[in-house]
Amino acid sequence: MEKSSEDATRGKERPGDGLFPVGRPEQVGTYLRELWRRRDYLVRVPLEDLRVQNAHTLLGNLWLLLNPVLQVAVYLLVFGVLIELDRGVDDYLAFLTVGVFVFHQTQRTVTAGARSVVSNAGLVRALRFPRAALPVGSAIGQLLSFAPVLVVMLAVTLAHGHAPNLRWISLPAILLALTAFGLGAGLLAARATHTYRDLENLLPFLFRLLFYLSGVLYSVDHFIDDEALRALFALDPLYCLITIWRWALIGTEVSGPVWAGTVIWPIITLVLGFVAFRSREATYGSWT
Amino acid sequence: MTGSTSSPPPTAIRCVGVEVQYTVRSHRLLLRDLLRGNSPKATIVNAIRGVDLEIQVGESVGVVGPNGSGKTTLLQAMTGVLPLASGQLMVRSLPTFLGVKAALRPRSTGRSNIRIGLLAQGLRWGEVEAMVNEVAAFTDLGSAIDRPMETYSSGMRARLHFAIATALTPDILLIDEALAVGDRAFRERSAHRLDEHRASAGTVLLVSHNLAEVRRSCERTIWLQEGRIMADGPTEEVLRDYESS
Repeated sequence: MEKSSEDATRGKERPGDGLFPVGRPEQVGTYLRELWRRRDYLVRVPLEDLRVQNAHTLLGNLWLLLNPVLQVAVYLLVFGVLIELDRGVDDYLAFLTVGVFVFHQTQRTVTAGARSVVSNAGLVRALRFPRAALPVGSAIGQLLSFAPVLVVMLAVTLAHGHAPNLRWISLPAILLALTAFGLGAGLLAARATHTYRDLENLLPFLFRLLFYLSGVLYSVDHFIDDEALRALFALDPLYCLITIWRWALIGTEVSGPVWAGTVIWPIITLVLGFVAFRSREATYGSWT
Repeated sequence: MTGSTSSPPPTAIRCVGVEVQYTVRSHRLLLRDLLRGNSPKATIVNAIRGVDLEIQVGESVGVVGPNGSGKTTLLQAMTGVLPLASGQLMVRSLPTFLGVKAALRPRSTGRSNIRIGLLAQGLRWGEVEAMVNEVAAFTDLGSAIDRPMETYSSGMRARLHFAIATALTPDILLIDEALAVGDRAFRERSAHRLDEHRASAGTVLLVSHNLAEVRRSCERTIWLQEGRIMADGPTEEVLRDYESS
């Protein structure tokens, strides 16, 4: 449908009258440049949203820090006091904290990306801008709100006697890997959610399943001895991301396939997500 | 731009056989199609059914018609946010729709919202900072500009929207029911801002149910009915027919 009107427009274009057709899809390069030109919007607006997020609470943005602290406190109570369960892991609290926080951060980035187009329908109809700005902006927002979580995560690992070390240098890179994967999956999910709203209901269950499969609560290496079977876990991007974070913060061993997965998954997902998202760009305004 | 355009003013917007469709999904329909193994079909709403239109630079055109006649859709198609189902829509420069409302944040202050609104319209941070005080002054909201927008009355909100949306003066301005807002003083100032805009050879399309406002601001009016143009001509003639319909 878009294609035929596109062709018609090009065919009848009269050079010299100073007019140009509206709504012509841009080349990828132009699209990315336009997205880059909006970088101030993409950072300032999520920052403002974060700033006013707790505006109606007594403690205000202290909650950004309190939330992860309370979460760790609950784990400490449940797994440290109530259930004596270390599942073959020495510093279970640090192991668990890193796993849960990294998992939730990925989940939040994907879920926010999935909703970004549908929940901004008004904006999509009102202003012309590269629609990828919506998932990208939501990913940046999630990245910004991860800062206090990261602080708590570092505090927990330090408290467990893991001194700062050279592996910390890799933190920006693995944070980038997490965000790139989250954005890529978010772009895919946003495009799918736009066609099938049903996905919004399915995503929580998909993530619940991945939560149990990705070794958030237990050490996969401790339960599975077979090397080939362990390598299969590299097919789960969340397992790769969690394991790399544990490597950086608490020195967990990382196998070759998981290293490869950490590099490859974010790249594949981001490229696929961008291409899939852009293929429906023109319809984001006209579908309700 | 060419020699032939020397006597009549050049064209700002040209629509030839423009059709715009909305896709509205019924989920029951979707499931039924999936079970039958068809690709899911959705209901197509023909919002604009073949509009031919030529608007000259510096013209101020009113768009009237009953609810659901496609007025807003036509304006949205002109900004390129909606794809055309067929026809062609050519413009001299990309029109701006007074639709910044959707970008604003209720919990943020009026001043923060000015920044957000200007950023959403594609400005860089430096440009925004240079303009924010001027826009804040135009809203005439006084100290309320630093209070959260959710504490504003609807009139105050409308003033903020109008001030942000018209802060950038595009060559072609599309307005959807934005003027009949605020108190008398603000209405006069916003009308004045549009007059200034037209004086500098700007083109304005004004969608409104307020016919007095259309009479005041527009010399030409288009009457839309069910996605087609019923009448297009001098405002007085078109509105006389429209009112007696």
